[in-house]
Amino acid sequence: GPGVLTRTLLNAGVRVVALESHSAFLPNLQSLENSLDGQLKVIYGDFFRLDPLITGPVKPPAVCSEKLFESMGVVAVPWRADVPVKIFAILPQKKERNTLWRLLFALYECSSIYKYGRVELNFFISEKEYEVLTAKPGEVRAYQALTVLWQVGCEIQLLHMEPWSSFITNLKNGGLAVPKSTWLPNDHLCLVRLTPRQSLFTGGMKPTNSATFIFMVKQCLAKPRSRLIDRLNSWSLYNGRKLLRELEIPENAQTVNLYPEDYRRLFEALQNSSVFTESWFHDEVLESIRNIN
Amino acid sequence: FFRCVQRLKNDGFHVDELFHKCLFEEDEKEKVLRAIRMIQPNYQLPPPPNPETCKSALLRDFYSREKTVSYPKLDFSAQELRERFQQQLEMELNNTITIESVEATKPLTPQAIKARKLLATLRSQWHNSILQALQKSKHSMSKVNMSGYNLYPYLCLLPDEEYVGIMLQVLNTLSPQGESLAILAKELGSKIYNRYVTQRKLRSRQLEKVQEVYEDYIHLLAKDSQPDEYLPREYWEKLVAEAGFGPSLNLKDCSWPYMLLLRLGMHLLELLVQAVKVPRNILNTRLESKLIPVLYHVYSFRNSWQVGLIKPHPIFSQIVSDAAETMLTFNSFVIPMLCPPVPWTSPHFGAFVLNDTKLMRYVDGAIQHQLLLEQCPQVNLHPVLDALNQLGNCAWKINQPVLDIIISIFNDKGNEKLDIPPPISEAPRPPVAPSNSSAWNKSQKHELLLCKKKTAEMHSLRMDALYKLSIANYVRDKVFWFPHNMDFRGRTYPCPPYFNHLGNDVTRAILLFAEGRPLGPKGLDWLKIHLINLTGLKKKNALQERLEYANEIMEEILDSADHPLTGRKWWMKTDEPWQALACCMEIAKASRSPDPAAYVSHFPVHQDGSCNGLQHYAALGRDLIGAISVNLMPCDVPQDVYSAVAQQVEEFRKKDAQQGVKIAQVLQGFISRKVVKQTVMTVVYGVTRYGGRLQMEKRLKEIDDFPEEYLWEASHYLVKQVFNGIKEMFSATRDIQNWLTESAKLIAQSGRTVEWVTPLGLPVVQPYYRARSTVVSICCAGLSCPSIPSSAMKPDTVKQKNAFPPNFIHSLDSTHMMLTALHCLRRGLTFVSVHDCYWTHALTVDVMNQICRQQFVALHSEKILQDLSEFMLKKYCSSSSPGRETKALWQKKLMEQLSNVPKTGEFNLRKVMESTYFFS
Repeated sequence: GPGVLTRTLLNAGVRVVALESHSAFLPNLQSLENSLDGQLKVIYGDFFRLDPLITGPVKPPAVCSEKLFESMGVVAVPWRADVPVKIFAILPQKKERNTLWRLLFALYECSSIYKYGRVELNFFISEKEYEVLTAKPGEVRAYQALTVLWQVGCEIQLLHMEPWSSFITNLKNGGLAVPKSTWLPNDHLCLVRLTPRQSLFTGGMKPTNSATFIFMVKQCLAKPRSRLIDRLNSWSLYNGRKLLRELEIPENAQTVNLYPEDYRRLFEALQNSSVFTESWFHDEVLESIRNIN
Repeated sequence: FFRCVQRLKNDGFHVDELFHKCLFEEDEKEKVLRAIRMIQPNYQLPPPPNPETCKSALLRDFYSREKTVSYPKLDFSAQELRERFQQQLEMELNNTITIESVEATKPLTPQAIKARKLLATLRSQWHNSILQALQKSKHSMSKVNMSGYNLYPYLCLLPDEEYVGIMLQVLNTLSPQGESLAILAKELGSKIYNRYVTQRKLRSRQLEKVQEVYEDYIHLLAKDSQPDEYLPREYWEKLVAEAGFGPSLNLKDCSWPYMLLLRLGMHLLELLVQAVKVPRNILNTRLESKLIPVLYHVYSFRNSWQVGLIKPHPIFSQIVSDAAETMLTFNSFVIPMLCPPVPWTSPHFGAFVLNDTKLMRYVDGAIQHQLLLEQCPQVNLHPVLDALNQLGNCAWKINQPVLDIIISIFNDKGNEKLDIPPPISEAPRPPVAPSNSSAWNKSQKHELLLCKKKTAEMHSLRMDALYKLSIANYVRDKVFWFPHNMDFRGRTYPCPPYFNHLGNDVTRAILLFAEGRPLGPKGLDWLKIHLINLTGLKKKNALQERLEYANEIMEEILDSADHPLTGRKWWMKTDEPWQALACCMEIAKASRSPDPAAYVSHFPVHQDGSCNGLQHYAALGRDLIGAISVNLMPCDVPQDVYSAVAQQVEEFRKKDAQQGVKIAQVLQGFISRKVVKQTVMTVVYGVTRYGGRLQMEKRLKEIDDFPEEYLWEASHYLVKQVFNGIKEMFSATRDIQNWLTESAKLIAQSGRTVEWVTPLGLPVVQPYYRARSTVVSICCAGLSCPSIPSSAMKPDTVKQKNAFPPNFIHSLDSTHMMLTALHCLRRGLTFVSVHDCYWTHALTVDVMNQICRQQFVALHSEKILQDLSEFMLKKYCSSSSPGRETKALWQKKLMEQLSNVPKTGEFNLRKVMESTYFFS
């Protein structure tokens, strides 16, 4: 676009590294880069094609996070350290879900951008996705696997809401190229800050076993109205009732009613039982890796 | 009784109609007659209605009573056919059949013996626990007065043991990757239904009657019996009419709705999931013993939707794979028939003896086709039924030497180049890596995914080939038949799903006509030409040149035939290697026989339509240039429409390049036959500019030195020019296509589905509706399934419109095939088809070619488009209901559109008669 975001950031006086995915816009940006005395660095690349899973050389505008961080001059810091870098982006409407899921896997695996520490994301996303990220238990349409996983992983802050009507459009009917939303409100573009929690990898959660956590949450919330005990039983867990009692979760609880923190506790408790290691669960988690990409 | 009869009369019915129009089971017919005679003691059964004769102009000669001909007999005595019928009947009475797989010849390992023992023990335990679970669930269902859907009656139709048997079968065939809930549920539901229908046919004595009629029907086919001037359908109808009393051959409608099949299946699946357990320490005794379920529910996520799956526990999959069991259980309709099929006499009756077969295949839940077939005058369906009977009556046998070679490779390591899928043991091994998935790097994960994907693909290919080969091996010493049915456009298909002549090169190579015919004077030449056609070489050469080429390489051919696996292996380098090998062997045998002309050959020789869809378009529009390019005009060498279009596009490009169009200049040297082929081919099937551009982009990407940055622009330009090129060559064709599309659009927009009648009288309706699905929730799972089509459903305008031209053309090509089939029957030829590829004996290729051309000319001499226009005007514009003004406006627009039949060119259709390469 016309570079509203970049301009605002530059005016605020911070150092900016801009990723430009279209070669046509590069020359102008580069001349700006030269005139700004080091405050702006321009890189040819597409943030939404970060670390593609294809083997072989990465063809621009796809970018590889290692190269990107190297050219930004940002080095990895421990997880508990402060935020090493902030990323600003407007998510393309069509790719919102996809991007959120991919970043989520990266977050839990500590891979890609999260290899460098608790990278802070400042994203413009549609209101309906914001509603999903911040949904509360019991809200059947909004409370999804994505909700639980982001809330466990990050602190979520709403920074700004802008009505869609503020935007000019080039469509003939004057409408916006915003997908219709039936169940959730979608009248705004929301600026949301996602800061990874320092405490994410404490307790039983590790980057090495977190894929199992993701898988577990997805399976539970595939049918939000199903009872948790039925899910547990179908995973060949023998003493599901006892486990729920210990966790003080009511026996007839539906999966949609569990708090994100409950899922975390459930996962930690299951770590100690044999479900994840010797049942089919392990194979399934491996299988699910395919679906990330 | 008196009141009943009185009431009938008052309502305007005649007593005779009871016997003409009602279906009876057991001795109902006799009882009704007795009842009526209590009131009218002298009442006589009405004489059976006179058989009607089809009036289609295309078949006036065929059905003419004046010139009766005798139809060919099968090479079997009545006694032999009787025995075969008994075998088939027994197989169908069992509903399933268990056969040895071709892998059975491999030696057994001690590990396998152990695993098989284990499986046997487990199965008997499971049998008991499933039985208990079933009885318990029935018990609880019988007690509660459930509101809404009650499945209880459907669980009482068969003995409990049979339900358990069917459920255990599911367990045996479940793949380690799991299966979608909906598919499994439907399979289970249908199995119960099939079993139930068999029971019902037994109880209503319908089977007895079929047996009786078939016994007599045999005389029409057997070589040692009298009648031969009847078509199978006519003779069957005559026998049924003569039989008079007894149950009707059709059951009263008893088919179960799709939803019911699903619900029943889901219920049984849930019982399986709950009842079937295995000790978790069965493979690893160090673990503490605990029973865990063998099946579990899991969800798989694909983009925005999720699919419910049932997967077997890895422990179970391990035992099954260790046991390497070599028996395969199939539904009886999967095996080709061991006796000639029951002739189709109505949309409800024909094909297998017991298995329910639909005359028309359709998607689950669609009922509009069946309704349409029932409503149309039955005499209109005669040509279609007779054609299907002709295709189904072709007897087949196995080419044993070729089958043996294929099985030997299959049981060794397979061969991907020769399309023999290798066993799973040959699958790539995933990289050895840390046990924790997250510790892997990107490329390791990628490799693992590729391995998994490859293994899954290999598994399904291997199983498919295993089924085909095992069935072929099972019937290796038998003669067998493929009963046929059709899709909603009249395209015909053999009913047995795995092994049939529509299959790939491997399956086609092991099939021979059971009947042999001497080669005759030209037969050996045809075999040679057929061989060269199979190689894919010499496509642009005249038949004579292909024959000369075959003679030149005779040494290679004989070497392939004599030493297929140890010689110079010429056959392996051809397009269709296995059929080529089979053909080499046939040529070797024929040429070495003392008198090749007298050599009795069972080998099918094929004749292919060249771009058959465009042939029909060119004939419809009488496009001269188009007709030449798809070989409707006689030429010395075969014409190639793809090259012709490529040339045309190149001319456009040159012109544009001279005028300075940048992209035309960039494309210099890149336009070839290969680039345009796919798009030209699919134009007939309604490819849009959008889809065409994607195809072009793919082709251009394959060219290494094509500059990537121009891909979009170039493909966009090319697809435009290809469409222009086709428009130039097939001008009337494009008009016809547009007319069909536009008409369909207006019809669909007015809220109706597009319907038409083929020149043979088959009614067609396009089954595309705006999707609305309902969720069936049973137990803990919910299933989304298409809702049952009803009059309330709105047609899907986009699909109705885009699919009409190709569907219409398909209904024409199927008509051409059926006409050819019927006239071949009249001339005593063996004939089968794979859509636009016609098969017959080498002796009769010339006659078949002549008939094929005659019928094409006859078909297109009909006023096809005028007739279509009139039919649609009557159907969609005649009800001038005094509606609102806007509606009247629509009506007017539609009427104008439908009346405005496109003009045609000046191609002389008769020329097709002399065209060698029309079908070749």
